[in-house]
Amino acid sequence: MNIIAVAINHHTAPIELREALYLQNNEIRDFIREFQSHLTREICILSTCNRTEIYCIPNSLDLTYKEIQNFLLQKKSVQNISPSNFRNYFSCGAVNHLFHIAAGIDSLVIGDQQILGQVKDAFTIAAEENSIGTYLQKVFQSALKVGKRVKTETDLFEGPSSISAAAVQLAAKIFSDLKKKKVLIIGAGETSRLTIQNLKQKDVKNITITNRTLSRAESLANEFNVAVIPFIEFKDVLHEFDIIISATSSPEPLVSKPEIISVMSKRKNQPLCILDIAIPRDFDPAVKDIENVFYNDIDALQVIVNQNLERRQSQIPKIKKIIMEELIELFSWYNSLQISPIIRALREQFEQIRSQEFEFFKNKFLPEQQQNLELLTKRIINKLLHNPTVYLRKSADTLDTQGDLNLRLEIIKEMFNIQNQIKNNDE
Amino acid sequence: MINLIHSLNSLLPLFYGITFLLYLLNFFYEKRGLSLWKRLSLFITLFFHFFYLLIRTLEFKHTPITTVFEIMTLLAFAITISYYIIELVTDVRNTGTFILFLPLIFQTISSFNIKDLLEVKDILRSPYLGFHVFTALSGYAGITFSAIYGLLYLLLYKQIKTQKFGLIFNRMPSLEMLEYLSMVSALVGFVMLTIAIVIGFIWLPQAFTEPSYFDPKLVATIIVWLFYAFGISGKWFFKWSGRKIVYLSITGFVISLFSMSILNLVFTGFHKFF
Repeated sequence: MNIIAVAINHHTAPIELREALYLQNNEIRDFIREFQSHLTREICILSTCNRTEIYCIPNSLDLTYKEIQNFLLQKKSVQNISPSNFRNYFSCGAVNHLFHIAAGIDSLVIGDQQILGQVKDAFTIAAEENSIGTYLQKVFQSALKVGKRVKTETDLFEGPSSISAAAVQLAAKIFSDLKKKKVLIIGAGETSRLTIQNLKQKDVKNITITNRTLSRAESLANEFNVAVIPFIEFKDVLHEFDIIISATSSPEPLVSKPEIISVMSKRKNQPLCILDIAIPRDFDPAVKDIENVFYNDIDALQVIVNQNLERRQSQIPKIKKIIMEELIELFSWYNSLQISPIIRALREQFEQIRSQEFEFFKNKFLPEQQQNLELLTKRIINKLLHNPTVYLRKSADTLDTQGDLNLRLEIIKEMFNIQNQIKNNDE
Repeated sequence: MINLIHSLNSLLPLFYGITFLLYLLNFFYEKRGLSLWKRLSLFITLFFHFFYLLIRTLEFKHTPITTVFEIMTLLAFAITISYYIIELVTDVRNTGTFILFLPLIFQTISSFNIKDLLEVKDILRSPYLGFHVFTALSGYAGITFSAIYGLLYLLLYKQIKTQKFGLIFNRMPSLEMLEYLSMVSALVGFVMLTIAIVIGFIWLPQAFTEPSYFDPKLVATIIVWLFYAFGISGKWFFKWSGRKIVYLSITGFVISLFSMSILNLVFTGFHKFF
């Protein structure tokens, strides 16, 4: 399969370059239209914050990956980029790379769930732009199938892979229904934002933010539609919250052990989950000695993240097996596309010879014998062609290397002189 | 029919053993296939056990409550079906490992010792007795469940507190759920024991000419009952929760286990008067 993939991603380029080459959806559409009219039959572009990758089936064998790279760089002027920032893939390598992406094992954090949706979006845009033909359609459908199989047949996406997600998982090990719990977020930085995102994914509705700079807390609160309380007041209402997640940059601890003892007294000793993601820590670590206070800091959460990442790594052999199965299926399909015309041409040629010879000799037989003669010759032809047909089909299924298969097909074409017949059929 | 009863009696420990093994394997290796197989195995075990109890009752013309070993097979069934219902209702699937070893033990002991009883005393055919035994068994099954869930609560509590996130952390439901399961089991157990005691008190003077209200098992049961009444009242009126209530549940179970074990060693019958 003459497929070329040109990729720039987190393996090859720093974030500045990836950002500079990121293509918005409208840019992808423009790119596809311009590129398709000049250089390719089929093209699909995947562009996310971590990668921009172009998959295409060129019009001619003359098109190289360099022209694709240059075309991209003409559209997006980027400083300090070098050839080493690109990876280029061909044929089976390109498909294999796409399958790894769709499976979620080529992502920055292994097991990224978003990537499958992004592959699907890339495919949809290309389909809308009519830049997907028989080959890329099959390749992308197979890639989406890989992603779905990984989701259903492995545990790759199980468990959190970030500190903020681990914080939410830990809280879920204490409380059975997070939706009904009151959560206080102390701090309004990036960690707090990610934590709120994770809480919202769990349908937690009762979230309150507090931050030393009120405007930042309000900005974050508006973004997620959650409540805000002034920083100087948060200690007065600490007892009202079941889960407290703290991620400030305060150099000193904000809450002491006696304060939490007082909070627990007001809570009538109901469980309290404190997740201290700040460095240095916002809570006195001694609060973990208090009954029914579940205090965990960033180190504890990192243990959970590491456990999950290890488990995800352990899924890779299973995922590679899925990828291999889908690669075999895809290339069997592709090989069968090449083999069918040859089988057809072979049969037509044999039939042509048989009918010519039959016409030539039939008058030497009695009219009542001619029908049997025709039947006999047809049977002989079928028997002669049975083994070659089976052999060719088996070659497609067993996925010989593309070179091997092409060599065999060429020998058969030359041996039976069916080159012209295949061309005529194609026309 | 007798042959079928004997065959099922021999097969049931095997069924329970396979089911327990599948739950154990799934606890260590969380695989989708195993999760489905263990549930299927549990269902099949329950189905055959129910069928065994049914044909045994029909063949011997009495409910299997006349000997300790008949009661053990009934207890194994009661624990398993209760667990099955809990698993279906709560979708908490990983606690079975800690519960299903009990029916395996009870059924194995029963299968090796149970006899074909065609003749039983008239008193053992009383519907009151059947109800009494059923509620008492359910009551003790309830407090056993409560203690097991309580123990799992303590293990998970310790792992979270000490920040050592092992298998218990990864496999168990939340602390709140374990506390809830422990509490509900204790409540069901308490209610069932209450009914068993009340039926016993009503039926006792009708059935026996010389009944004794100071029978050791009766006294032990009442002590256990009072203990759980104390714990449930604490939960109800003083909002006791967490480890305090769990410790009470486990203590109650230990009291009942020791008292019943000792009494079963000393006395051969169910009660002093029988």
